[in-house]
Amino acid sequence: MKALEGRVAPASAQELSEILACCDSAGEKVTIVGGDTLSGMGLPPQRADVTLLTTALNGVVRNERADCTMSALAGTPLQSIATLLATQSQFVPIDAPQARSATLGGTLAAGWLGPRRHLYGRPRDYVIGSTVVLADGTVARAGGMVVKNVAGYDMSRLYVGSFGTLGVLAQANLKTMPLPPQARMFFAPLPEHTRARACVQIAALAIAPAAALWIDGFRAAIGGDDGAEGRIAVLLEGSAPALERATRDVRSALGRAGVPDTFVVDAGARQSFERIVDAYVASLGERSITYRVLKPVQDPETSAVAVKELARHFGLRFESIADVMNGDLLLRISASDSRRLGAKLENFDDALHDLEPRAQVVACAHPHRTNLQVWGAPPDALEKMRALKARFDPNNTLNPGRFIGGI
Amino acid sequence: MTFLSDYPITWDMDCQGGGERPGVLLERLIGALGSDAVKTAPEDLAVYSFDAYTDGGSPTAVVLPASTQEVSAIVKIARDCGEPIVARGAGTGLCGGAVPIVGGITLSFARMNRILELDLRNRRARVQAGLINADLSRRVAPSGLFYAPDPSSQQISTIGGNIATNAGGPHCLSYGTTVNHVVGLEVVDDRGEVFSTHLDDTGYDLTAALVGSEGTLGVVTSAWLRLMALPETVRVCVAAFGDIDSASEAVSAIIAAGILPTALEMMDAVITATVEAAFHAGYPTDAGAVLLVEYAGLTEDADAAQAAIHAIAMRHGATSWKSARSEAERAALWAGRKGAAGATGRIAPNYYTQDVCVPRTKLPQALCAVQRAASENGVTVGNVFHAGDGNLHPLLMYDRRDRKQVAAVVDTGNAILHSAIELGGTISGEHGIGWEKRDAMTRVYSTADLATMGRVRDVFDPARMLNPEKIFPSGARCPEVTPQ
Ligand SMILES: Cc1cc2nc3c(=O)[nH]c(=O)nc-3n(C[C@H](O)[C@H](O)[C@H](O)COP(=O)(O)OP(=O)(O)OC[C@H]3O[C@@H](n4cnc5c(N)ncnc54)[C@H](O)[C@@H]3O)c2cc1C
Repeated sequence: MKALEGRVAPASAQELSEILACCDSAGEKVTIVGGDTLSGMGLPPQRADVTLLTTALNGVVRNERADCTMSALAGTPLQSIATLLATQSQFVPIDAPQARSATLGGTLAAGWLGPRRHLYGRPRDYVIGSTVVLADGTVARAGGMVVKNVAGYDMSRLYVGSFGTLGVLAQANLKTMPLPPQARMFFAPLPEHTRARACVQIAALAIAPAAALWIDGFRAAIGGDDGAEGRIAVLLEGSAPALERATRDVRSALGRAGVPDTFVVDAGARQSFERIVDAYVASLGERSITYRVLKPVQDPETSAVAVKELARHFGLRFESIADVMNGDLLLRISASDSRRLGAKLENFDDALHDLEPRAQVVACAHPHRTNLQVWGAPPDALEKMRALKARFDPNNTLNPGRFIGGI
Repeated sequence: MTFLSDYPITWDMDCQGGGERPGVLLERLIGALGSDAVKTAPEDLAVYSFDAYTDGGSPTAVVLPASTQEVSAIVKIARDCGEPIVARGAGTGLCGGAVPIVGGITLSFARMNRILELDLRNRRARVQAGLINADLSRRVAPSGLFYAPDPSSQQISTIGGNIATNAGGPHCLSYGTTVNHVVGLEVVDDRGEVFSTHLDDTGYDLTAALVGSEGTLGVVTSAWLRLMALPETVRVCVAAFGDIDSASEAVSAIIAAGILPTALEMMDAVITATVEAAFHAGYPTDAGAVLLVEYAGLTEDADAAQAAIHAIAMRHGATSWKSARSEAERAALWAGRKGAAGATGRIAPNYYTQDVCVPRTKLPQALCAVQRAASENGVTVGNVFHAGDGNLHPLLMYDRRDRKQVAAVVDTGNAILHSAIELGGTISGEHGIGWEKRDAMTRVYSTADLATMGRVRDVFDPARMLNPEKIFPSGARCPEVTPQ
């Protein structure tokens, strides 16, 4: 078969298989692109001879409403899946940024983790089956359309978060959930003296909020006035009576912490939550870099303040979203232009990793990106991961160098 | 489905590593662990040659390590001597997973049963693999927490065994199976080296690959587990139906209505009769089938859910409905449910549990197929299962001393597997593949699918020393030994 060049957009697993087999044997490196919403995560591939677009693999293949399962091709935009499911009062809690463009396959491959996972679980826990095409063209299925399945290894979960370096996701089967009938969003400015107490109180609520985020900055992306000291956004989801009680609880928790005002958004609560999620990867072009630190709940707002000090020391602008329920931290660092950011970026990156070894880059268009500790501290089992890559993709055809440790 | 006793076990010498003689092996094991941690007496070995599936081969030796370092030392010695390793928890597995098919070292976790760390603030616990499942919930209950996965065997089965099989349980309907609750693992690999995995780590999700791998990718020595807050309200109700069809229609309707109970379990007349005789749990004995429904959560939501489930049950012909009024009544109903399999000793000396899972709307057809298979083969069947997940557990009663009955049970089990596959289901919902169902894997997966799983095995256990002869079909044996 003649080697391919440029951009290809297969429309079926079979076509995908032919393309990969062809590239693999010709030594062509393949970059996989879905909705291009998370390409700022990690490193760009070292070499891209062929760009493989998954966008033609578009559509819901099965929708088993009564079974609470569905299956869609990997290039299907998450928004269209969400819209379909909403018409039958169901959802899949993936919380992808820019869901209109974000594809199912790309978001799963990037291992995206959203703010509601502490309540509903991780996206990987909704994947009940998969069709993946390996670099050599092997079409491999795993799992099925049942919600419990222990027949063989859990390959589907292994592909989630593998950044397309083990194989290309062609289709995923998902378990769906009943859509909570109501949603309500709270915003409250948090004066500095209230911050720590407010966050602790919210995290300890008997009715856990679906999301609780302390936001410092991001005014253009998210909106909302927060004075100089940041604001908290709390999303409640559930039945009407549950929401009523939770509302009282949130108000009194914030009141006890000394927070002066709260604003409630009912109509459009989910949309305003989605705007926050979009901000996770919102970039200011070459003059910003966004890091994310994933770690268990340990006063994320305190860690945010520490990094803010660091940014100030470097003369860089700092914005953050601290996930009060999950403990992770999003940090956007920027300067007035690309050159000024570039002058300080490497030193800042070192200092940040001294403070937060797990910090990973999730959005960065700056050319210095490749000089940074983009993935943060390497995991203990890196050698096993390298061995997996070698066994699944021995010619290093798929997204070479995209992932941690040169994978 | 195969019964071990039906198959003479022959060990293909070509597949066996070279290595030293047993004498050297034992000497080295005793040197490393002390003699009281190494068992070789025939009566000791006999205990470890079966699990809750059936009996199999005897191990060469049983070792009882007390620490991760000792597990590591054992694996290194086994490797030097060319002996396979079979990790073992409580031996409650139902697919022959912990049975040593080709001898080797059985590594028992009986001495590694401690809770190592409790991080209540972050709702996490680090526990050793041999910890008994129920001990964790008991320990954290005073802090208002619990560990959600609750296989019916939870009073004896271990966290390590639960992780290896990705165990489910009645409450997995809303809380998810074991894999949803494992945050990280400490693992001894095929070379005896220790590595760890964590969900917050960057890189491949090795935690997901290891959970459910039935001891074939590594020996789990400890795990970080997620704990959950105890719900403020728990409602337990029992609905009785004239027959199993209407009960399963009700289950499908509850799920389709978007109600998510924490448990939705079904028992047929055969089971409720034995459960009542054994436990006096409070189930009606004049019903064709009963549903045990639990809803846990906020009080407001529990009221509404209970009313909605009640209405659906009535619409589907429920003949009675009762809701437990006290903690004692709730506990009695659950004790009856979780003790159901054991109670069948009143019907026949032995039972075989089939474990298949079908799409939830296919439950009525799947149960029909079970009844048909059982009656065609003249086997008594009792159904007690996780209906809300579509996860069937027909218990086939027999007397293993009677070869005819054994054959009838084998045929019935196969017919049930077949019908589950036909209905778009799978060959195991929660018990695992182990030794029992490995040859059935080819009925749900293509050669390419299995070879892809084989690539994972190649990385973690190229020499096939970790729990050999499990999961992968028998034909796939020797060629796979060649590592890349
Ligand atoms: C009455 C009864 C009720 C049951 N109910 C349920 C149920 O509701 N849900 C359910 O899912 N199962 C159920 N089971 C099946 C069984 O209890 C589960 O599979 C359980 O997880 C096995 O745990 P164990 O400690 O007994 O493991 P074992 O039987 O000892 O081992 C099971 C498998 O795990 C491997 N293994 C054990 N420990 C380790 C380790 N540390 N590292 C690596 N591999 C290891 C073994 O090699 C084997 O392959 C039931 C069994 C019985 C007898």
